[in-house]
Amino acid sequence: MTWLSRLIPGAHPPVQLTPEVRARLDIWRKLPATALDRQHVETRYVVVNTEASGLDLSKDRLLSVAAIAIENGLINPKLAFYQSLEPDPADALTGLLEFIGSSPIVVFNAGFNKRVLLNAMERVLDMAPELHSLDLFWLLPALFAERSQGASKLTEWMNALRIETFQRHHALGDGYAIAQLFLATQARGRILGHATPQALIELEHARERLKRPL
Amino acid sequence: MTTATESLVGASTEFLKRFSPFDQMEPEALDYLSERVLLGFFSKGATILSAEMGQPRYFYIIQRGKVQASQSGDIALTEYASMTLGPGECFPIGAISAGRPSTNTYVALEDSFCFQLPADDFMALMRISPVFHVFCTQYIASLLSQSRQQLQTTFSQRAAEQQTMTTPLGQLIKRDPIFVTPETSTRSALEKMNELRIGCMVIADADSRPVGILTQSDLLSRIVLPAFDLNRPISDVMTPAPQVLPMTATAYDAALEMATHARRHLLVVDSDDKLRGVVSERDLFSLQRIGLRQIRASIEGADDIESLQHASRDIRQLALNLIAQGIGSEQLTRFISALNDALTRRIITLELERHELFGVQFCWLAFGSEGRHEQTLSTDQDNGIIFSAPEGEHEAIKKKLLAFAKDANDALAACGFPLCKGNIMASNPELCLTLGEWKRRFGAWIREPDPQALLNASIFFDFRVLFGNEKIGDQLRRWLLETARGNSTFLRMMAQNALAVAPPLGRFRDFVVEDDGMIDLKKSGARLFVDVARILSLRSGVEASSTVGRLRQSGQRANMAEEELDAITDGFHFIQLLRLRSQHLDTEHDAPGDNKVDPDTLNELDRRILKEAFRQARKLQLRLKLDYQL
Repeated sequence: MTWLSRLIPGAHPPVQLTPEVRARLDIWRKLPATALDRQHVETRYVVVNTEASGLDLSKDRLLSVAAIAIENGLINPKLAFYQSLEPDPADALTGLLEFIGSSPIVVFNAGFNKRVLLNAMERVLDMAPELHSLDLFWLLPALFAERSQGASKLTEWMNALRIETFQRHHALGDGYAIAQLFLATQARGRILGHATPQALIELEHARERLKRPL
Repeated sequence: MTTATESLVGASTEFLKRFSPFDQMEPEALDYLSERVLLGFFSKGATILSAEMGQPRYFYIIQRGKVQASQSGDIALTEYASMTLGPGECFPIGAISAGRPSTNTYVALEDSFCFQLPADDFMALMRISPVFHVFCTQYIASLLSQSRQQLQTTFSQRAAEQQTMTTPLGQLIKRDPIFVTPETSTRSALEKMNELRIGCMVIADADSRPVGILTQSDLLSRIVLPAFDLNRPISDVMTPAPQVLPMTATAYDAALEMATHARRHLLVVDSDDKLRGVVSERDLFSLQRIGLRQIRASIEGADDIESLQHASRDIRQLALNLIAQGIGSEQLTRFISALNDALTRRIITLELERHELFGVQFCWLAFGSEGRHEQTLSTDQDNGIIFSAPEGEHEAIKKKLLAFAKDANDALAACGFPLCKGNIMASNPELCLTLGEWKRRFGAWIREPDPQALLNASIFFDFRVLFGNEKIGDQLRRWLLETARGNSTFLRMMAQNALAVAPPLGRFRDFVVEDDGMIDLKKSGARLFVDVARILSLRSGVEASSTVGRLRQSGQRANMAEEELDAITDGFHFIQLLRLRSQHLDTEHDAPGDNKVDPDTLNELDRRILKEAFRQARKLQLRLKLDYQL
């Protein structure tokens, strides 16, 4: 892949996927959709986090992906995923999709994280999967207004909710922090009447419309 | 394990390692734990665990935040009414080990994260990690030592309640005295009574010295029925020269006055004879003492079986009330024992009037629990006679005594002491013996301690004289102590027998229960203390016949610490109290449920105290075991 392919959208060479990856993706596509009107404890969420070479979507590249599933409102260490894109980006991204299944995904700052992921998927897998996603970047200030104190970065939210992780600036390490933030989000959402994934999605959209510069 | 899982497990391990007991835990056990804990979140104010949730599904280790544990239900447990837990602390240990609902309610005091270990994994961890096992059992044990303190507080509180009968009346007066002058019209005096809702009106002179009283119960006979003119002064209708007591008189004095003069109100005056207040029957809250006196008086005044039967029912009723009021078992058994003694003595006295036994030297013995002053309400009679007879009159006197004893046994049965199924009764010719015969009998058991002899010793060696010539009983006791003391084989056999039953303490569960899920508080509770106490008293020559007396006196001779003895006797008392509580007082003697308790129905405090009590029994047994190298 050359630098040119990144600059000119659609200009990258046709994607060559192994039959094995194609088969896996086909299975993934046929997964039944997840109901978004169930209670949080009945919903499987997947916290997804990425690690890129930098923060510039146009230049920087996805290095690794991490995901932590949240079932019954609990983080279970057995339900965790982490993989570097190299040496086999197709396998890594397919693996991630398989891990996500049809669950709604939870990210922090979708504007970058989801974007960089979707870009990579388009480039590597030649697909733009539709993923229901929740962005804590919008949800946390909506739910923890009294704690936000103008927090917007992950570090600030970790401090506000006194959350720690084993390794910062690492896809899984930060993912673990985001997963803990999401546990708090679920609990708080339930108290404030946002008890389903759908309700959180709507809350996020309302918040986004309100805050985003027109 | 994927690398992702390894990282998350590693994070949990790093956290857990910062806290005891996880820092001491075997590496593979710690791995086992870290791999299985789930991380959950609880918003401030959320209930994490409560009794209503049933058997706990998880064992919680607080990762961040604060959790408040508070005693749920209406069990007053001030000591650990609530307790705040922080990171590294875990719950519920007792409930999850025992597989029963938590008695505490756990609420997040602030937003909190908790590691949650599924209950099955918790049990597995206890099995694979000795360190964790010790931690959990020690934790439960520490609750028990807290319960000891709690036990003592409870007992001293009760003792304090008992002392209220010595409270000076001055302290019982709740409000300023209300009175009218003798010239006041009866109408306005009655209006005032009505308005203030008081049961009696005091009439006092200008110097507030009481001159009369009018109570509600006087109204019908003195005012309503005779159509008394309400415009006449109250002095015309009052009871003059009312009963007064000084401020320094005690509640007990007041109760006595009320009982003897059948009054409901007493006037309290100061040293200048001025009215200071009125004490009513209701003010004397510890009315049980009055009940006790009344029953005692009625026993001593009874001259037929019918009135004694009545008194016997009163004793049961009194015991019932005392238990309901939460009185300690020591006082309770003492009351029951004192009243039963009085009743028995009165029955014997009455029977003696009908039997010609003038000049016969004898004494009436009580055996077993009655002999130890530890009668509960469902004990049948165990009694016997020691007599002495001049040469040649032995048979004739014994015959007379047996006839008398037969009537006395029947009368006792009529008064609620069932006949002994094992025929341990004075009317049994085998148990109406001379001092020499008793010595031969006891001596044979001591020399040849076969199982039956040991069983007999456990009943008959706990004797005391209930009626008659105490000196004969004392002679037998001194002889017994000397003889038993010198026979170490016998004592050793007794000790072996006493150790045959272990306290029903479980390793995982709190208690080891019988097939019906119950604990037999007599067989595997009280008897453990009683048996050891008997041996200690025989060995050290202690004459006391009560278990507590025996333990205290022989313990002091063996230089046991005072606190240790307190702990043991408290434990014994508590088991006795539970026995009394579980007896079906209002039904028959020897009801099947008597002496049995289902530990699951006890509240948490009682469970802990009961465990502590059993632990004391175990300590006592251990002492015996060491002494006799058993």
